[in-house]
Amino acid sequence: MSAIAATPLHRKRDWPKHTFIWFFLLIELFPLYMMFQVSFKDNASFIAQPWLPLSPEDWKWSNWAFAIKLIGPYLANTVFVAVTGTFCSLSLAILAAYFFARHKLPFSGLIWSAFLVLMLLPSVANIVPLFMLLKSMSLLNTLLALIVVGVAAGQVFNIFVLRNFIEDLPKDLFEAAEMDGASHFQQVINVVIPMASPIIGTLAILSFLSSWNDFLLPLIILRDKELFTLGVGLIYLDGEYVKPWGQIMASYFLASIPLIIIFLFTMRLFVRGLSAGAIKG
Amino acid sequence: MAIPLSRQKVLREWRLYLFVVPSLLMVLTFAYFPAVSAVYHSFFDWSGGEAKQFIGLDNFKRAFTDSTLLTAFVTVGALMIFNLIKMIPSILLAVLIHRLTSNRWQYAYRALLVVPMIVPQLVTLFIWKFILDPNLGALNAVIEGTGLKHVLVAINDFFGWGVFFEGVPIGWLSQPELILPSLFIWGFPWIGTVGVLIYLAGLQSIGQEVYEAAELDGIGPFKKFLYIELPLILTQIRLSLVLLIIGTLGGYGLQLLLLNEYGGPGGRGMVPGLWMYNRAFVAGEFGYACSIGMILFVVILSLTFINNRYVRVDK
Repeated sequence: MSAIAATPLHRKRDWPKHTFIWFFLLIELFPLYMMFQVSFKDNASFIAQPWLPLSPEDWKWSNWAFAIKLIGPYLANTVFVAVTGTFCSLSLAILAAYFFARHKLPFSGLIWSAFLVLMLLPSVANIVPLFMLLKSMSLLNTLLALIVVGVAAGQVFNIFVLRNFIEDLPKDLFEAAEMDGASHFQQVINVVIPMASPIIGTLAILSFLSSWNDFLLPLIILRDKELFTLGVGLIYLDGEYVKPWGQIMASYFLASIPLIIIFLFTMRLFVRGLSAGAIKG
Repeated sequence: MAIPLSRQKVLREWRLYLFVVPSLLMVLTFAYFPAVSAVYHSFFDWSGGEAKQFIGLDNFKRAFTDSTLLTAFVTVGALMIFNLIKMIPSILLAVLIHRLTSNRWQYAYRALLVVPMIVPQLVTLFIWKFILDPNLGALNAVIEGTGLKHVLVAINDFFGWGVFFEGVPIGWLSQPELILPSLFIWGFPWIGTVGVLIYLAGLQSIGQEVYEAAELDGIGPFKKFLYIELPLILTQIRLSLVLLIIGTLGGYGLQLLLLNEYGGPGGRGMVPGLWMYNRAFVAGEFGYACSIGMILFVVILSLTFINNRYVRVDK
């Protein structure tokens, strides 16, 4: 009886909270709306009416054509760097995490602390020597440089999370695999990867995102226009003197589309995975 | 748990070391080597080439009398205070979402929160640059539209700031006095998606019945936050604090993009990281840049240490 009576009461009392949350969310989503609707305007109609969208028959698709032509190659470079980097980073991290989690070999404690100390090193002090190192390895102005630096930077965090996860897996699984004569590598492929796939998925998204969002390193390293990733490409677009806002916004939107696709498929995993990981850590 | 192995087993399992070697090599080359090299080169007069000259502590002596660097540290201190204030909305939002009785709404809001993450950070920055634009930007439109402009001009005339004028659009990123306020406003309403999700995870262990019990005892919304919710997210808040200290002190991407490599008009947005970037890649003083990096590193490390020591979490 009381439960039935309580529900409408609670609902009534929740409306100030809903209003407040929507207030935050709407401001947060406003840039997205602006980006979308301005991307179909030319400068004249934008200045005449910045806020409301044009009716669809007036939409200027040429902005998008321009954006695809301009951003397309940058997009391809960024996808290449982000995908290769994420794949390499996680492959290495899974192997290393297996090493730490499954057996205690001599020096593994020492190696572990060597990794942990890195968490204390802020990358800001490193950027100048890193630049010189890449220069001496003649990796300046290559996409490979972005990949290897990204892989190295992600190792500590990925290994840290994966090690905890692998240690918590039931030991019987590994013993059973060993009985069947599985080598360590086979155990990684057949036991660790299937069992840890949710956490690997979350780490992969985080790693992809950080590589996607990086602009300082590309800005310092890349010189050739053909090699530009989104970061540098957009910075150069911003430097134009007279700004064609419609084309710029279409480019921005285009730069977000790969992330939209990823999030559409992984939203559930991401929202849950992040929460679960946070509880543990 | 890892199992200790006997000597023979170690000899048999030596191949396992191969699993960690690639990772270790990457980290040694691209993280340790640059760090050591930074320490080494901070004692040199070095412009990036083969030629370098050992000058002992001269770089550090120069840094401690470099007025740009000292002002930059003051600026970054102000930014740190801004960022502390900017933590509040995320906590507030997480608590509000958690207090909702409907689970379906809770999930819907979480999903909506993730949506802004699809915009690359760089694009978010540029959009804010656009919002702060004097002629076309949304911020000036809101200020003009709501009549807030008259208030600002009145305050301005009263204190004699010489910043706001009737009929002149406010140049948020072009007037030296407004650089710091712009860096504060930037990102309004300051919701960090990852932050909110992490706080929500911390709050998950509070069930509805706790709230009902609190309500029976007549505990108000603010006390509920203080006694029920805050203790549970203290760990997460501490984590955010550490990330905030590292991010604010070491960060300079924001200033580089919103302003320029000189910290904008009057250098008001200059932060230590940006000055390091500027010295290295604009002036070519790589040795000096390394020593600025070292100073930053020490400051960050000690602040993180103080934070871990004194911001305690009692379980």
